[in-house]
Amino acid sequence: MLETKGLTKHFGGLSAINNLDLNVNAGEIVGLIGPNGAGKTTLFNLVTGFLHPTSGRILFDGKDIVGQKPHAIARLGMVRTFQLVRILHDFTVLRNMFAASHLYPQIGFWEAILNTSRYRQKEEQINSNIIKILHFVGLSDLRDTVAGNLPHGHQKMLGIALALAAHPKLLLLDEPLGGMNPVEVDTALKLVAEIRKQGTAILLIEHNMRAVMSICDRVVVLNFGTEIARGLPEEVKQNKEVIEAYLGAGKRAAKSERHKSPLRQS
Amino acid sequence: MRLGRILNFVLLVIFVFLIPIFFRSSNYYLIVLILCGINIILTSSLRLIASVGQMSMGTMAFAGIGAYTSAILMMKLGFPIWAAFPLAGFIAMVVAAVIAFPFVRVTGIYFAMLTLFFGEVVRLVISEWSSMTGGTTGLFGIPSIGTLSFFGIHIDFAHLLPYCYFVLIVMVLTLLILYRIDRSHLGTTLAAIERDENVSASVGINVIKFKVITFCIGCFFAGIAGSLYAHYLRVLNAETFGLFPSIYVLIYMVAGGRKKFSGPIVGALVLTVIPEMFRILKQYQPLIFVAVLFLVLFFMRGGLVDLPEKIRSRVRTVNEGRASNA
Amino acid sequence: MWGGLWQGIFNGLASGWIYVLVALGLTLIFSIMRILLFAHGEIYMLGAYVVYYVCVKGGIHFFWALMISALTLGLLGIILEKYMFRRIRGEMEPAVLAAIGLTLLFQTLAVIAFGTYLKYIPSIFPGVLKLGGVRLSWDRLLVVLIGLVLTLALLLVIHKTKVGKAMLAISHDPEAAALQGINVNRISSLSMGIGCALAAIAGGLMGSLLQLAPYMGTFAITKGIAVIILGGIGSILGAVLGGLILGLVDSLVALFTSGTIAAIVGFCVIILILLIRPKGLFGHD
Repeated sequence: MLETKGLTKHFGGLSAINNLDLNVNAGEIVGLIGPNGAGKTTLFNLVTGFLHPTSGRILFDGKDIVGQKPHAIARLGMVRTFQLVRILHDFTVLRNMFAASHLYPQIGFWEAILNTSRYRQKEEQINSNIIKILHFVGLSDLRDTVAGNLPHGHQKMLGIALALAAHPKLLLLDEPLGGMNPVEVDTALKLVAEIRKQGTAILLIEHNMRAVMSICDRVVVLNFGTEIARGLPEEVKQNKEVIEAYLGAGKRAAKSERHKSPLRQS
Repeated sequence: MRLGRILNFVLLVIFVFLIPIFFRSSNYYLIVLILCGINIILTSSLRLIASVGQMSMGTMAFAGIGAYTSAILMMKLGFPIWAAFPLAGFIAMVVAAVIAFPFVRVTGIYFAMLTLFFGEVVRLVISEWSSMTGGTTGLFGIPSIGTLSFFGIHIDFAHLLPYCYFVLIVMVLTLLILYRIDRSHLGTTLAAIERDENVSASVGINVIKFKVITFCIGCFFAGIAGSLYAHYLRVLNAETFGLFPSIYVLIYMVAGGRKKFSGPIVGALVLTVIPEMFRILKQYQPLIFVAVLFLVLFFMRGGLVDLPEKIRSRVRTVNEGRASNA
Repeated sequence: MWGGLWQGIFNGLASGWIYVLVALGLTLIFSIMRILLFAHGEIYMLGAYVVYYVCVKGGIHFFWALMISALTLGLLGIILEKYMFRRIRGEMEPAVLAAIGLTLLFQTLAVIAFGTYLKYIPSIFPGVLKLGGVRLSWDRLLVVLIGLVLTLALLLVIHKTKVGKAMLAISHDPEAAALQGINVNRISSLSMGIGCALAAIAGGLMGSLLQLAPYMGTFAITKGIAVIILGGIGSILGAVLGGLILGLVDSLVALFTSGTIAAIVGFCVIILILLIRPKGLFGHD
């Protein structure tokens, strides 16, 4: 479904992603792991059109999508979430979902203004879709709560719900479990498994190793923008290079604290 | 429930249409009404553009394009009013479309600066192109929009009362369209774009397309408002459409409050009527705007439209205080 | 023809330095307080009128009048920062609107207090230096000199003094600077004061070169914004080069076409720069 060939991204002199060959097939849950700064979110940005690659190809369903804008890529079926949870804070959960229900069904300009019966039908359709998704992620009771007032774990679920409203074929989750307590993690993992069962492939960035082990079919490990290991979760866990990478990163993190923009983290 | 809304709306419209009759004997009040109507259209159109997070400082430039378009089409090319009037809006919209594509890619303060400089370019072009626009001396003798005869009734729009109704009808239609945009799914999309463009793009919203469309629609109505002004005053001058008039429209919007749909209407009404009511020297008028602007900025961020709510909550706290002391 | 060209260049450089002084203040205030002080043009205008009243009506020598004006408007800037802009620091929209409100306020008050008739400040050094057919008026040479001196002084302050280094720190990262113990409030006040003082001097100089009118502020702020867009926000070198280039372009284009067309061309160029390279020549924000 998703394929990158020789994907490279330079920022000035820094090489954030180096010659990466990655693929995600239909029905899979692929884990993307690596120490902080390895380039994981950069990869998400490249693949969803938020950043332009320096070189290399990105193929989605066989088509080259390099140079396409994020909204076009979403329309093709690849939708991402954001690491620092991005939702519309002063909207209610319901209104958030309305905003995200942009693609299916498509609403034309004039029918919205003239409030035609077809428009109202479409609004009904959106409404029922939203109810389904909210029920699916467990936020139905909170539909009238202002999103900014939700506890962190629920906000993350809302982020996922927003992505689901775009009916993705491939869902890119950027650290969905960040900041969640064990109970929330469990619920979230069950949700991710359900999403896959409903036919959506998933590419998952995560630091929570147990979660990665339990839910991913296979794992790709990045360090300094290059792939250093790939394979089944169990194999990768034992890989010496991977262990070194994480230890080394720990030492580096202890030494200095660098300020990075949200779009460029991990 | 929808029936209740429609009923409210109809009553409001009837009320609005009774006001001119109430003032029919006074030219002065009719003029104030006409100016209110025009300013409401301008301010509400600016709100639309601002609803995607873009501060336009060129509202009056587009009003000017509309004004001069309809005047020139009628005077020099003999167009009838029913063609010139909508064309005023369309030409303004076309110009908006041309600059929108490059302009909307740029954010925040830079966008404001772009519209500011563009507004200045428009004003200078108007004053320089004297063969068409009368240059700095101005354009005189703009025809009225004509007369209407049916069933033995003869309406001459050169008179203030009929023209006042014309302006109010256009205003109501404009507000209807803008209201529908605001309330519909389209309005939610625009509000989402204003709050977070990245999230919006990630769920498939074409941010650039929507920014361009809103800018064009807003400028369309600004052009229409300009044309209404041209056929009321019958005289045009480049200075009317310069930077400070655009700033005034911005102040009307901020003073009224731009979150609620009724905000710009309140702002435009208050700031059109109060200077007239207090009849002070024209020189001192901007001071009223400054006072209201600072009042809103420092005490009522949401705008004057929040005033009833603020008073109510103040009264509530006073009553609670009284009750607990009793 | 050649004489006209060099004359245009000289005059352009002189008015260019005035633009530089305005832009320096504007860019300083923007770098430190993160607001585009739209009312900067009005400070320039007020500065000019203070010089007029102190010098022409009060009989005090032009130089002292300039300094009094700089101090007065600098003080006004500090007061504005302390009581108005500090309260809304960090929020862009209200700050810009407040600046717009100030613009309207000052310009209206100026019209009421000073009237719309043009006023003139007599030449401080009448006479010209004739150099190969070009008339270098002493007035304009003085403007160039003052401009150079003030720019160098500002550069010295920023790079050599503790206060200046604090300013640099705040302009890069206000939060980090605050964490390092820098008194952001005090430095902001100071920057505002310096910025307004520079604008006041620019106004006084322009008043002596041309004339004074209540709406001269609009001219100044438009040029100021154009300069910092050209030169890049936050860059002193950019403000200097941008101001001089703009002054030259204004002066030279006006030799060949009408003033209005020159202005139109100028604005279109600025629009293009904003679209293609909003950072300008040296900007880094």
